[in-house]
Amino acid sequence: MCYDMIEIEKTGVPAVPIVSGRFVEDAVASSRAFGMPSLQWVVVPRIYRNLEHDLCRSQTADVIDELIEQLTSEIDARVSGIETDSGRSYEADDKYEAVLAMNDDLIGDDLGDGLPLFPATREAVEEMLTGTNLPPDHVICDMPPGFGIATVEKVAINSVMAGAKPEHLPVVIAAVKAISNIQADGGKSLLMSTSPQAPFLIVNGPIIDELGFNAKSAIGPGRDNQVNTVVGRAFAMCFRNIGYWYPGKMDMDTIGTTRKFIQCVAENEEMSPWDPFHVDQGFDRDESTVSLFITDGELDQQDQGNTTAEGLLKNLAYGCVFGTKSIQDKGHTQRLILMPPDVAGPVGKQEFTKQAAKEFIQANASHSLGKMIQYMPLEGEARVSEKWKWLENLSEEQRLEIEFPVLDSADDCYILVVGADRAKTAIFPSGPSPVTEGIDQYRS
Amino acid sequence: MYTLEVQNPVAEQRGVVNSFTSSPRPKSLDGLTVGLLWSGTHGGDVALNTAADLIKQRFKNVTVNFYNGNNYPAPEHIRQKCAEESDVVIGATAD
Repeated sequence: MCYDMIEIEKTGVPAVPIVSGRFVEDAVASSRAFGMPSLQWVVVPRIYRNLEHDLCRSQTADVIDELIEQLTSEIDARVSGIETDSGRSYEADDKYEAVLAMNDDLIGDDLGDGLPLFPATREAVEEMLTGTNLPPDHVICDMPPGFGIATVEKVAINSVMAGAKPEHLPVVIAAVKAISNIQADGGKSLLMSTSPQAPFLIVNGPIIDELGFNAKSAIGPGRDNQVNTVVGRAFAMCFRNIGYWYPGKMDMDTIGTTRKFIQCVAENEEMSPWDPFHVDQGFDRDESTVSLFITDGELDQQDQGNTTAEGLLKNLAYGCVFGTKSIQDKGHTQRLILMPPDVAGPVGKQEFTKQAAKEFIQANASHSLGKMIQYMPLEGEARVSEKWKWLENLSEEQRLEIEFPVLDSADDCYILVVGADRAKTAIFPSGPSPVTEGIDQYRS
Repeated sequence: MYTLEVQNPVAEQRGVVNSFTSSPRPKSLDGLTVGLLWSGTHGGDVALNTAADLIKQRFKNVTVNFYNGNNYPAPEHIRQKCAEESDVVIGATAD
């Protein structure tokens, strides 16, 4: 809503939003992100969404004087207070104590992820910058959702803090560029959601072996996932300190998710019966790329003994109905499927191309429509797309009885081969469509 | 004594670099058109209609128009119509 109010203010019309409770910091962050730090608003204590109408009315009435004043009085600009130029210095008895002091300070200002940070000294950043051919002041993009100006130098600083090495920097740069190309608006509305959307990174190409990315048990902690973890962490640091995706400010998640400890996994190209994902996206096999997905959940879909392709895919299709089906105009229902070699191998050998497998999954991933729209009360619900309005004429029981595909098209399902030796597929509700960015152009 | 100096990881925001100031305000809402822009969130319509009713009680000859944006952000054509037809706008909800 702050975005809408700012766009209206740009036309010369005063516009004031009503902001609920814990979203004040989000309003501050949004006003800066969308170009009007002096946007004014009124604050009510409770979120309207599930509030009884009497309380909706009374809390609005409580702020009417202030609302009228915001619409009819000249206002003072809001002071920012966010420092982006000066570094910080710490004095201590020795280096170790100084690093501890740095961590207390930076983590206390929420410039980290809660885990210990590496010091971004001038020397460390200069060393990091040797990993790319780009100059430090080159602007990669305006990084959503806060549209911070992502210079190579700022990406390098955050990469140092995450513990990355110079050879990792091109991957991080490519991932930063990729997120700016999600949807027309960089996915800003999605990334500011109260749901647990989080970016997920996957690399393809020669860089997998060159840098030591893990393509087997690729998600999670451990020595074998060190590169996966560090590169993902570097991107996550950029996402917060450049993209302003700070919890409670632009990341408005209700409960949160471990997927926000972002990892960068690799596709298991050598054990896949199909072309790797980046080839599907238009790249050559010998190019290195990073693909960015936005995921909204995670499910382990286990197979307990199917050996036929149809059996394996039907089980996997059932796993795809976990999650919601959107019936809004801007909704996007997709699935990222990380298929292990023990599923992909038999499916590919039994002459299913990747496209045929996707089509099979789409055709078989059907479920009760009423359940997939989460028993949503539709009466008076404004955000239902026109093409779904007919549901309003049905009772809840009638909606529950309708069997419907969760995916509109086979192209809404993305298969990548990842994993060790077991028939356990990871399925992630996801969307909008992923973006793949070449890495080689950023290497030194 | 050891001094550790580190560089700033926080980036400048484009929206602050290219920021603009708020629109001039009218001195009164008498005779003006108030646009209500709704995101479609439950309760937001109640909030907007409540605000409009209270404004109409306090000011003379106020016209109120309701715009159903239905999403975050609102479709551009709806937001544009709201801006073109209104002297001031109230939006709900920002959550």
